[in-house]
Amino acid sequence: MPATVPHIHTARLTLRPIAPRDWEPFCACAMSDRFQYITGKQDLGGAWRLFAAELGHWQIKGFGMWTVTETGDDDTALGIVGPWFPADWPETEIGWIMFEGGEGKGYAFEAAEAARAHVFNTLGWETAVSYIDPENARSIALAERLGAIRDDAAARPHPDDLVYRHPKPEAV
Amino acid sequence: MGHRDIPVLETERLVLRGPEPEDYPDFKATFSSYRSRFMGGPLNKYEAWMLYAAEIGHWEIRGFGMWMIHDKATDETYGMAGGWQPAGWPEREIAWIIWPDKAGKGYALEATHEARRFFYTEGGWDSAVSYIDPKNLDSIRLAERLGAAKDHGAATIDGNDAVYRHPTPEQLKNSQIADGIALEISHYCDPLFKPKGFAID
Repeated sequence: MPATVPHIHTARLTLRPIAPRDWEPFCACAMSDRFQYITGKQDLGGAWRLFAAELGHWQIKGFGMWTVTETGDDDTALGIVGPWFPADWPETEIGWIMFEGGEGKGYAFEAAEAARAHVFNTLGWETAVSYIDPENARSIALAERLGAIRDDAAARPHPDDLVYRHPKPEAV
Repeated sequence: MGHRDIPVLETERLVLRGPEPEDYPDFKATFSSYRSRFMGGPLNKYEAWMLYAAEIGHWEIRGFGMWMIHDKATDETYGMAGGWQPAGWPEREIAWIIWPDKAGKGYALEATHEARRFFYTEGGWDSAVSYIDPKNLDSIRLAERLGAAKDHGAATIDGNDAVYRHPTPEQLKNSQIADGIALEISHYCDPLFKPKGFAID
């Protein structure tokens, strides 16, 4: 199914649905400290199940996380960004995980902004949040750059998470 | 192989199809119950959904995976059976789970036998194992009914599971075990058949 999904293009990036060939960079990231604020550092089996679930999310929901690539370099995955709404999630989320090498160039911001436009304009979402570990300062900074504001009253998957609520569709 | 290309298999009583989003409630009910204790459960709602999503993603990544077992007449689901090999699995596994209230009717045997036939004849597999918790007596018994035998020398997943090695395609061909499986399935299919006794397991 992902093959039929039109890709998202930004000034520098192409976003395509996450695919089996993204396993190696995803696995390296999930088994590293980079995942300490996401799900916690994973072992090999845990990383693989998460990865398979990322693909399954697309099949079940018809949308999911996009692999971020530089336009013209389709094979190098810089990270994954996009909508995330598994069972038991209080609200529709926009998530981002950048791999090593995908940081420091503003790619996460550029991709997340495009993914947010996609969920509002194409998927028709009326609101979106991002759930962030309170110690994940870089992710909080990104949420704030995107104009998201802390919503302490909102439900969250884990009691320690912070909820950042994105501006309404008409505001972005 | 993409999710849309998952082959559909038919047996006497069953249809095996790729897992669909609408089948999830049945999966969740089983994986949030004690029934799933030998398969990493019981899981909470989020974990169960993530595992179901992974079952679907497995097909896309590996080109094979677990089918949903449906009743041919009513379309009701009875469980899942098929191939399973996430990262860290030493070999390709043949796996099964039957919803707790559908056990005892031979569905796992019928579905797994067909899945194995498919992997051997269409998938090019020449070998398969099943990794089973040593306390899971029902599954061990099913592995044995399928002709699998404990392989003490094979690598396990994490040392806590027993490896049952299935007969090879060659060993199955025209074998007594293949005849026995066919006979057992035919007896399950024929409601008028009255066995003289039941296996104690």
